[in-house]
Amino acid sequence: MSEVFMAYPELRHPFEASQIHPQGSTTVLYQGKVITLLETGGGDSLLINPEDLARINGFELKPEGVCYEDMCIPMTDDLLVTQDTRKWFDLTAFADLLAQPYVVDHEAGVWSFAEIPIKRENMKVNAMAPEFELTDRQGEVVRMSDFKGKKALIVTWSSW
Amino acid sequence: MPVWQQVYDEINDPNFVLICVAEDTGGEAVAGPIFDAAKPTYIQIVDEDHIISSAFNFVNVPSAAWVDEEGRIVRIDEGTYSKIHEIGEGEQAITFGNDVYTPALKDWVAKGADSEFVQSVATVTGNIREHSFDQLKADAAFRLGNLFRAHGQKEKAELYWDIAQELNPDSVNFIRQNLTLTEEGSAGETFMNLRGEYISSGKDYYRPLDLEEK
Repeated sequence: MSEVFMAYPELRHPFEASQIHPQGSTTVLYQGKVITLLETGGGDSLLINPEDLARINGFELKPEGVCYEDMCIPMTDDLLVTQDTRKWFDLTAFADLLAQPYVVDHEAGVWSFAEIPIKRENMKVNAMAPEFELTDRQGEVVRMSDFKGKKALIVTWSSW
Repeated sequence: MPVWQQVYDEINDPNFVLICVAEDTGGEAVAGPIFDAAKPTYIQIVDEDHIISSAFNFVNVPSAAWVDEEGRIVRIDEGTYSKIHEIGEGEQAITFGNDVYTPALKDWVAKGADSEFVQSVATVTGNIREHSFDQLKADAAFRLGNLFRAHGQKEKAELYWDIAQELNPDSVNFIRQNLTLTEEGSAGETFMNLRGEYISSGKDYYRPLDLEEK
């Protein structure tokens, strides 16, 4: 039985040691994306260049707040941090505000953020399929929203 | 995967898409050959970080969601077998799967909202599993482990995979994915014991299929 479920056991350890990011940079993981930040602020929080926010989680700083599509979170004082005249956006404070969990490995400089719960509300309340963005085996980007007007069966499986 | 290709060919409707997602941290190296053997024409995704399982709150494979033209889920989270499978021989033989899911799927593709297998918003939202703060955090830990694994740091990979399992002990996906790094593999003694515990404690290994009684 195990042979059937463990196809290609010789490939279970295919990974070679390699550097995660250039010395001194930081990596953020979010929804399958790996984002390298060349500069971050100091301290225990993750302070990012405000311009990096959109490529991490799609939110943007606007006069009305921190916005994603038609949703805006009012800006609070603790979200913008000034260090030596440089302004940073506190991504960890923003995550705390949105009850978005994260896990950090300080030694490696890698922060892994879970999905933002508010982005999932429409599924829990209205049964609307969650948006995702993944690349298929042909290299095409696949989003749930690509299939409006069609019926879709999304089915998971695994080799294990 | 070949059976899903057969189902896809039989349905053969330009307004129906089949998206098959391999929940495999081993990536293309392990999932790709299995996909290729099926000669698939449906959409194939290798989802190393289990993004789809997390998005739909699945805890096991195979699981599925039916999504209609408006983007609304009309069935979700059932042990999704396209037919009855038999593997092994003699006393070792086991069967799993069912012969009711595929006919229901075909009925929905043909009839849309008029299909008796379409579930209401209330039923679907009731069938969507909870995905608590800790379970979301488990996803983040799991993906951190995956990054370390991809960069050859096995100890850190195991550390964060273990954290993910502690935070979301009900995820069969995490347990079995983690077991792929052990000598016994994902279907060895550990998994069989766990499966036995699941069944004897009355927990659902999959959410029950709501189709048999139709």
